[in-house]
Amino acid sequence: MAIKSLKSGSYGRSVKAGNSIILPGDYESIATTIVGAGGASSVTFSSIPSTFTHLQIRYINRNTTAIDSLIIRFNSDTGSNYVRHKLSGDGSSASAAAATSSTYMASADYPAGTSTFGAGVIDVLDYANTNKYKTMRLLAGYDANGSGIIDLRSNLWQSTSAVTRIDITSNSNLFAQYSHFALYGIRG
Amino acid sequence: MSLQLFKIASTTVETPQANVDFTSIPQGYTDLLVVLSGRSDGAAYNNLLRFNNDSGSNYTWRNLYAFSGSVYSDAGTASPENTYIRFGFTNASTMTTSAFGSAQAYIPNYASSLYKSVGTDGTQESNATTGVDIGFTAGLWSSTSAINRVTITPQAGQFVAGTTATLYGVL
Repeated sequence: MAIKSLKSGSYGRSVKAGNSIILPGDYESIATTIVGAGGASSVTFSSIPSTFTHLQIRYINRNTTAIDSLIIRFNSDTGSNYVRHKLSGDGSSASAAAATSSTYMASADYPAGTSTFGAGVIDVLDYANTNKYKTMRLLAGYDANGSGIIDLRSNLWQSTSAVTRIDITSNSNLFAQYSHFALYGIRG
Repeated sequence: MSLQLFKIASTTVETPQANVDFTSIPQGYTDLLVVLSGRSDGAAYNNLLRFNNDSGSNYTWRNLYAFSGSVYSDAGTASPENTYIRFGFTNASTMTTSAFGSAQAYIPNYASSLYKSVGTDGTQESNATTGVDIGFTAGLWSSTSAINRVTITPQAGQFVAGTTATLYGVL
């Protein structure tokens, strides 16, 4: 049985001669979601422990129908408390855009072609620091063999609350099967 | 998808200070990763990354960034820009209160006897559609010395309380 997350308790393995050594690093899986055959409109990481220093999400995703955008919110906050900035390239030109007083944060658009997935890495430093607003920095994009996009994005959640929940939502349609979202905690 | 990431040292700024300085870096890892959540009490500007206390003209870099709705690319090849590698951007004192920039630098093979390549990405944040930088940098430290010290300095002002930086070793 594979263990995909361990939110409490302990995990041990024998270091008898001949076994592989496990080094207890500072990068730890918190939870992983893999979308099943029916698709999913959103993925939620809840009850995020405050015992780490930084969070990282790594994902691959595909839409069931068409190229779509990825919406992200913290702690179920749907208010106009977010700011977005992006640097984007499509293979022939680069552009920049921003939005203030937004009701959501965003990552790069993602594809719908057969076997074509977008990918991204999202970092939230000091996610549990109650003296700071939360900056979400991410690198994401996709290549669809003739089209695609690569984005560096920054989003700001104007709250000093610790992040305890992350909702990742498909703006339209569904995340397709095998879309994969993994949340990691990093000690600092 | 897990990383073999090990914290070497971290700093939390309590009172304004000129830089963040990681010294006596052990040589037993493969790569280094530095992350910074930074804000300065000066104007909006770059973070400067230096190794082994070297402030000489031994660095070069290329940058791609967005600022106020436009995209730019520049380079550090002549003094004073070639005395550091640009490491993201620091939130300035004029930016939204309680907002901090976010940056990371990845340094592969930091202990090798080759020149050192660095990849960074960094963002400022503020409740504004203009005056905010986000971008990437590819840099080179033209030294064959193993890296044993990493210093991060805001180009203007000092890092304020709440600024954090962590140095990780990567296996």
